[in-house]
Amino acid sequence: MRVIKGVLREELANSLAMARDYERELRKLPKGSLVKKTIKGHKYCYLVIRENGRVRFIYKGKPSIAETERYRQAKRYRAKYRKLLSQTRKQIKFLRSTLRGKESV
Amino acid sequence: MEKSQYRLCIEVLHRLDKAGILKNVVLVGSWCTLFYREFFGKADYSVALKTRDVDLLIPRPSAIKANVDVAELLKDLGFVVGFTGSKGYIRLEHPRLIIEFLVPEKGRGSDKPYPLPQLGLNAQALRFMDFLGQNTVTADIEGMMITLPHPANFALHKLLVLSKRAGQEKQMKDKDAAVRVLSALVDSGQRDIVRDVFKDMPRRWQSKVRKQLADVVEKKVQEILL
Repeated sequence: MRVIKGVLREELANSLAMARDYERELRKLPKGSLVKKTIKGHKYCYLVIRENGRVRFIYKGKPSIAETERYRQAKRYRAKYRKLLSQTRKQIKFLRSTLRGKESV
Repeated sequence: MEKSQYRLCIEVLHRLDKAGILKNVVLVGSWCTLFYREFFGKADYSVALKTRDVDLLIPRPSAIKANVDVAELLKDLGFVVGFTGSKGYIRLEHPRLIIEFLVPEKGRGSDKPYPLPQLGLNAQALRFMDFLGQNTVTADIEGMMITLPHPANFALHKLLVLSKRAGQEKQMKDKDAAVRVLSALVDSGQRDIVRDVFKDMPRRWQSKVRKQLADVVEKKVQEILL
């Protein structure tokens, strides 16, 4: 039991560090997402971001292919990192509750 | 073991193989106890408790000719770069796996990370790692040839560094892993190989290993090193 608890404690420390690292990576990603709007038959590109709980559309003109790709990648990684961060937080919760538990038998 | 964790480990090793790095790497740490199952075949062998850490030893860092950004290579799997300790050792983190690189410590040693610019990483230099890299076996895992330390070297190394391991729990865990492997070696008729590896160790190392085995219950394990 002692060995298992030692391993769990180590895994908890790892998960805590990991959660911080995922949060850091999420902060590094460019905010918002590029969307195309069609207004009177013309297509316009906007950057959609949330600021103080409100959605803002910022006109971007015609973004370069590189910039479009950068936002597309950011969207993909944001979804992935959020999912993995959620898994990590669940691990932390589980490990904390397991380590709090009383040893039986 | 979680199936997805195993699949992720295999995917990482596949990518390293494709990038031409795997041939320069020896898989050490608790994960190799899993791959020893193939080595021991029908002998009675149960895998010891293992963590998420996958330790990859690079016995000769200068032999790596490939220029690969490993963090970028694994990024789409969800790995992020993490730093451990105050010295900034890099590791690649995922909720199911943590990948760390190790190199053998040379000379007086240093507590600074060992740079691996060709991989865009650094590694931790550790004592006695040469002992793991000098006698290896290969396991065919899902079409890849994975280099592992010979089980005899793995077990004796665990016992050798046991007193240096921080925390009694870790020491108990490592000792358990070493005894399981030694026991499986005896059962599979490889007692002489263990003896040969042990005899090749410097005397000081031998006495450290003997000391660690003094309280082991399994007589067959104790007897090998007499």
